[in-house]
Parts: sequence; structure tokens; C-alpha cells
Amino acid sequence: MSQPYISDNINSFNSINVWNNYTVADERSEILAWLSPLEPQIRHQDIRIRRVDEVGGWLLQTQEYRNWFDGMSGCEPDSSALFCYGGPGVGKTYLR
Amino acid sequence: MIDTLCKQAAGDGAAVACFYFDFAAQEEQSPAAVLGSVLKQVVGALGEIPERMVKAFRDREKVIGGQRLSLSEIVEFLQDISSSRCTFICIDALDECPAGHRMKLLDSLNQILQESQGARIFLTGRPHIRGEVEKHLAGRAATRSITPTKDDIIIFLRAKLREDTMPDAMDESLEEEIMKSIPETVSEM
Repeated sequence: MSQPYISDNINSFNSINVWNNYTVADERSEILAWLSPLEPQIRHQDIRIRRVDEVGGWLLQTQEYRNWFDGMSGCEPDSSALFCYGGPGVGKTYLR
Repeated sequence: MIDTLCKQAAGDGAAVACFYFDFAAQEEQSPAAVLGSVLKQVVGALGEIPERMVKAFRDREKVIGGQRLSLSEIVEFLQDISSSRCTFICIDALDECPAGHRMKLLDSLNQILQESQGARIFLTGRPHIRGEVEKHLAGRAATRSITPTKDDIIIFLRAKLREDTMPDAMDESLEEEIMKSIPETVSEM
């Protein structure tokens, strides 16, 4: 198995009380880690590796997607959100 | 989808964040943790962390255990950032989020959309939660059914056949048979 990429914001909280030696970079990664313990990027990398290019690319050409991406405000219905639904295994996760 | 958005939106300085729900991780995937991880990605894409967030962190750090932000605080930060910067939030498998959490999450997403022009939310899930998504996002959600096209199946099969670990077991007529019968069967489903 390939090693998922590990972002620089895990493994913090160790040097928390050393205020004097604080560097800006340390604090930045500690703040990011503090925002949430979850690391969805790891799952993203895994999906990215398994995805087959071009599959589901048709979605990008649909009116629904374009309206959403371009953010046509004022058009009905307002589509600042796009919900793509389908049964298990149709490839929702792996859309291009 | 995420990578496509990153490519399309990168030039415009847009932020892209993703989240994948998973039945097996329901305990830890609370609305605050989920949107917290979205906020983490969005902030990570900024050159520097907003001052107000640094202050909140320093204040909480003194509390034992380093108390985290509440859901409403996270929503506020996301509203702030996405009103000045195009922000794409993609959430996969929303149906795998427990119902109670899902309502809270959808309401929070709705609050973000309500307050900021720059926010765009992309969701996937099974059809049974469609009504719920439409209701909680208060008419802001367009919907689209996803089914693989015949071309999708063909591209996918070709890719899988190329990865075949036992190529000796494959001959031209079997390959032809596979490429013909599977796409037909699937597109009839």
C-alpha cells in the first residue's frame, strides 16, 4: 500500500507551553490541528489513486453543474448547492 | 471532483475543501469535527491565519485540553472567509452521516450559503436523503441523478482490463465479449 501523504498539521500539541520558543510556523500548524482532528485529505488521496480518469466527466458538461460552478445568482432555482444522488456503487465518490 | 475544482478554480484564488463520510467513523464525524476539517482546509489555503482565529486559539489553549471551537463559531469563520473568497465545499456520502448529525450539518451549510456569496456546496448521497437536502437547504440546492453512462462503463472496463494481473487468461474474443455485454447490461439497469 502506498503511504498516504501526511500533512504537516498532525503531531502537534507537544510543545504547547513553550511560549518563548514559539515560531510562527509551529503555531500555524497547531492552530490547523486544533480546528479539527479529522484528516479528510488522506481519504482523498486514496480515492484519487483509485479513480479512473474521464469516468463521470459528463457531469461537468451538464447545465446543473455549470450553473452551480458559475454561481449564476438570480437564476431559478438558486443553485449555490448541488446535490448529486444515486444508488450504491454508481460512482458518486469517483466523479471526475 | 475535488481535483477538477482545484484545477478550474486555482487561478481565481478559490479555496476547495472536501469531506468524505463513512459509516465506520460515525462517532468521530460530528458536525463540528466535519466543518472544522473543512475550515482547516480553507484556512490552510490562505496565506495567513485570520487574527481572530489566532486569538481564539490562544484563549482556548489555556483551558485544559485546549477546548475546540463550537459548531456556531466554525460556521461564522466559514461565513467570513467565503464572503470574500470563492469557497467550494464538497461533501461525499452524506447518507452515511447519522440522521441527527445530518440535520445539524445541513442547517449549518444553509447558514453559510445564506450569509456568503462566495460559498458553493457540492454534495453526494443516496436518493432517499434528497427531500431532506432540499428542505434544509431551503431551495438553494439543485439536484442531479448520477448513473454511469455507457461510455463511463467502457472507459472503466478498459482501464481495469489493462490492470489485469492474469493477462494469459484473456484472449481477444473474451475481451470483445466483456466490452460488449457488460456495458449493455449495465445501461439497461
